[in-house]
This record gives sequence, structure tokens and C-alpha cells, in this order.
Amino acid sequence: MSNVVHVPADGFAPMVADLVAGGARYRMLLGTDDRAIGGEGLAVEAALGGADGGLVRVVARLPMEDPSYPALTPAFPAVHWDEREAADLLGLRPMGHPDPRRLVLHETFPDGFWPLRKDIGAGERPPLADGRWEAFTAHGEGIYQLPVGPIHAGVIEPGHFRFSAVGERVLHLDARLFYTHRGLEKLVEGRTFAGALPLVERACGVCTVTHALGYSQAVEVLTGVGVPERARWARVLLAELERAYNHVGDLGNLCAGMGYNAGSSRLGALKERLLRLNDALVGHRYLQAMIVPGGLRRDLVAERVAALPAELDAVSHELAAAVRVVLRSDGAVSRLNRTGIVRAEGVRALGGLGVAAKAVGIEADLRRDEPYAAYGELEVPVVTAHTGDAAARFHVRAQEAHDALRLAKDVAGRMPGGGWMAPDRPTTPAVGAVAMGGAEGPRGTSWIWLRAGADGTVDRVRLRSASFANWPIVASAVTGDLVPDFPLINKSFELCYACTDR
Amino acid sequence: MWHDLRERLLRPLIRGPVTARHPARAPILPPAARGLPVLDAARCDASGDCVTACPTRAIALDAGTWRLDLGRCVFCAACADACPREAIALTGRVELAATDRTAVVTETDVAGGRS
Repeated sequence: MSNVVHVPADGFAPMVADLVAGGARYRMLLGTDDRAIGGEGLAVEAALGGADGGLVRVVARLPMEDPSYPALTPAFPAVHWDEREAADLLGLRPMGHPDPRRLVLHETFPDGFWPLRKDIGAGERPPLADGRWEAFTAHGEGIYQLPVGPIHAGVIEPGHFRFSAVGERVLHLDARLFYTHRGLEKLVEGRTFAGALPLVERACGVCTVTHALGYSQAVEVLTGVGVPERARWARVLLAELERAYNHVGDLGNLCAGMGYNAGSSRLGALKERLLRLNDALVGHRYLQAMIVPGGLRRDLVAERVAALPAELDAVSHELAAAVRVVLRSDGAVSRLNRTGIVRAEGVRALGGLGVAAKAVGIEADLRRDEPYAAYGELEVPVVTAHTGDAAARFHVRAQEAHDALRLAKDVAGRMPGGGWMAPDRPTTPAVGAVAMGGAEGPRGTSWIWLRAGADGTVDRVRLRSASFANWPIVASAVTGDLVPDFPLINKSFELCYACTDR
Repeated sequence: MWHDLRERLLRPLIRGPVTARHPARAPILPPAARGLPVLDAARCDASGDCVTACPTRAIALDAGTWRLDLGRCVFCAACADACPREAIALTGRVELAATDRTAVVTETDVAGGRS
């Protein structure tokens, strides 16, 4: 059950810092506009996981005329992007934030335009402002700036990377993202829970199961709906298939990042094989439109479930062979080792998740730590490595891919029968009721924060994807490395831009 | 060295290409694949359930015409699930690219009015 602690604005940062120091797990910080649910102004909220796994919310109400509060970032750096986002989208003012620049809304948005405030409509088009972005750069003799992107060679998403370099060595990287901000969280305001799902699910293309699952779990808590047995197990199967195709594809991308074509084409072909298995199983290569609040939108194709174990075995076998090829190449191994090193204390401070955290020995995985769907009845291995370099992330990903294939195979072999959709009618939650849903995706834990408005509609939803949490770590990983190693370092994290930007 | 030779040269030679002869040969899609939604006009009673169910407002129904805008469709099959007469099916047609925005809007004449 959820616990709400209301604090005055200047008590917010100390309270959250205390709770986190006392063992509460940080999930997200967000801003809200409470006027549509009977409140008077704005609020800043930190959502934490309590000792019993329940949701603990620390809320500081802020008046419209002065929504400022002492920033939490100095005491707890993992929230530095969340606070900047709340400043951009709701006009909150985290006083004393070390980086008060824009994050989500680029400088072409006018000052004083805060789209997530309730007096702004989803269709509103503000005039273009002529603000300019200012990069954080290093200065000194022989230091030059190297701008890369936002348009890149290759089918990848837009992001601008500003390197400060001496010769080939990177002194500092400032990454500017949020080129794909579509205002999804604004668009879903006022929609029904079912109507918001397709947008939340499509925040990006490669974590659709993770996001649909997190969102559906939040809706199920709010509406008091139980999920039937078959759907709980099918959700695990879909989540592991998503992990498997992502990790296999990302291992291939990692090879592409260092120009090792034998690896990238072979692993790319293997990813294609997994996508086709997905297509045959649910009718969609990226597993979209399957998970809905209450269960599944449609049943899995039964004969395909029966065929899965043998097919996944074959994929596992081919994956092992492909990984062996990469690791027997001296060139590939020498590129991977000691490239893009991050340290455990840095990753911990910035709140790293998933592969990025596991590669420095942080043993955290929501599937095991706060089990959802049918994970509580499964043994979920949590793979870690300790060197924190691209090689560590390669190893964690390869092992996790194998584990995902094995878990998917086990689940396919013991899939219970019965209905796949909850028979009970959902209840309409009270206006202002809040629930969270989380799922461990291929890049780490993604959380959905959901608040009900009138008549079972969405008042506010926030998706904090694992990519959002991990991007700042990429920038810190590049320092001291060579500029041409950046593609490899970036690919060793292989984060998503779209679900970061929303 | 020998491992590399075997894995990177001999194996691919023996196995042959893994790519398909597309577009010379049509892709073989699994039966569950969700491509172009098609309306069976004979079964449609213009109840409008598909219009309400569509999360992206890709479907419109007016004056005896069922209009589907593929520029908005996300192939989620909510329309097919919602149809009480099972008049909509997501077919295996997936080659839907067009050079003109209007070409991705399909129209089907339906009986019109509720039966």
C-alpha cells in the first residue's frame, strides 16, 4: 500500500535524502499540477520503494506563484535530470541545482511555457524562441570542440554530442538529447486507461513489453483487477523474449561500434530470427499490442508456444557460437577491454540501472528484488561483472541473453491454460489515486507513475525509463577515452533516445 | 586462426545466404502477423464500435463510407477485437508504402445505418 508523506518545500530534500540513506529505493522524482484533482497548485514528489516493497511518496506542495524548493540534486545526484525535467515541463524551480540549463524543452521553446500545466492544451503551439544552447566545455591551450550529431550516419536516433578533446583524447562530453520529445505524457492526459496504453507502449520501439507491463500493473493496482494465471506467465515469456532479442541485437550493435562486421552481421541475423519467432507467436515482431491492463489483448498462438523450447535452444546454441567468435578475435577483445570504464561509486551516485550497473558489480534486478507477474515463482539469476568497461557490459549482456532464452524456454514449457483476460470489471479509482508499476527491461528498471483523474481517466502519467536513468553515465564513461572509441562506448550501453525523450 | 577461418569463411560458404529474395519473392509471414486491416463490407453493420475502439482515431465512418487512414494506424487490432460481427481482419499485406499522403487512406463502402 502506498504511504504519502507531506512536507513543506524546504523539508523535501532532507526528508528524501534521509529515507534513501535509510534504505528506501529511489524510483523517480516528478512534478505534478494538482489543480485538476482538487489541489491548489503544483507539487514536487519523490516516489520511493519502502522496506516492504510498497510505494512511499514524499510530496511537497508548491504555490503557483512561486514553485521553488531547495533542490535535492546536491544531496542525491541521481535526481539531477528529473529535477531539470520538472523545471522544464511544469516550471518548478529547484533552487541550488548545479545545472539549471534546459533539458527536455530545447531553447527554441519560449520562457514561461510549461506544457504539463493544466492550463496548457495538448494542441498548443508556442511561438519559436531564438534561445541558444550552451554546451559545458573544457577550455585551455590545444583543447578543441568536436560536435557530433544530432544527425548521424546510420539508422540511429538523434542526439548531439559535444566533445572537448586534446588530440584524440576526450576531456569532457556534454550530451544533448530530447530531440524526439513528442509530449506523450501531455497527450495521454484525460484519456481512459485503455486509451493511454498504446501511446505509453510506443514511447520507444524496443522496450514495449516493459513499458506496457509497468503501465498495466499500475492500472491494475488502481482499478483492483487481478491478472489470470496464464496471462501472468505469458507476461514473463514476452518480457524475456524482449530481453533476448534486445541483448542479442545489442551485442551485434556493440560489434558494429568497433567495426567488427563478422560479429555484427551474425548477431544481427540471430536477432532477426528472434524477431520472427515473436511475429509468429503474437503477430508482431516487437511484441506490441499484447499486454493490456487485466491480462493480454489476445492469447498466444498455442502451437507456437509448443514449438518455442526447441527453437530457443537452437538460438542459444548459435548465440554461444557467435559470442565465441567475437571473443576469439584479438582485435575485438583489445577494443573491448579497458574501454569506457565507469566506477561503481559513480554509477551508484548517478543511479545507474540494468547492464550499466551490473557491469560494475551492483547486483540489482527488479525481477528478483520486487517480483511481479510470475517472477516470484522463478529463479532469476542476476549476472554481474566488475571491471566496468565495455567488455564487462558485453559479458553481462551475453550471459543475460542466455538466461533470458532459458527462462523463456522454461516458461513456454510450463505455460498454464485458462483465460488470458481478467473477468472482473475494473472499479473506477478515486480522483487523485496514485499507483506505480515497474518492470525490469533490457536496459534496467523502468517505472510508471500513474494518477487517476475523474471517471477513470489519466490525470498524469510519467514514464522513467531505464535509458533516462543511464544516459548521464554514458557521458561520464567517455572521459579519458579516445574519440573514435565513442561509438563502441555508446553501443556498450545501447540506450534508447525515444523513451528517454517521450 | 583456424577457428576464424572455419567460422567466418567456411561456415557461411556451406550455409549459403541467410537473406531472402525480397522483393522478387513475397515474404512468408506467420498467420498471426498483423498487416493491412481490411473490412468485409457485407458483414459490417456500421455500429461504429471500431471507430470508438481505435486508439489513434485512424478510422472514420460517415455517409456509408468506412475510412481507414494508414498514416495513423498502429496495427494494434483493437478494431478487429471490438467488432461485434468480426467484419475486420488484419491481413498479411504489409507492403504498404506510398509516395503520396492521400494514397494511404483507404475507403470501403458499407451498407450504412444500423441494422
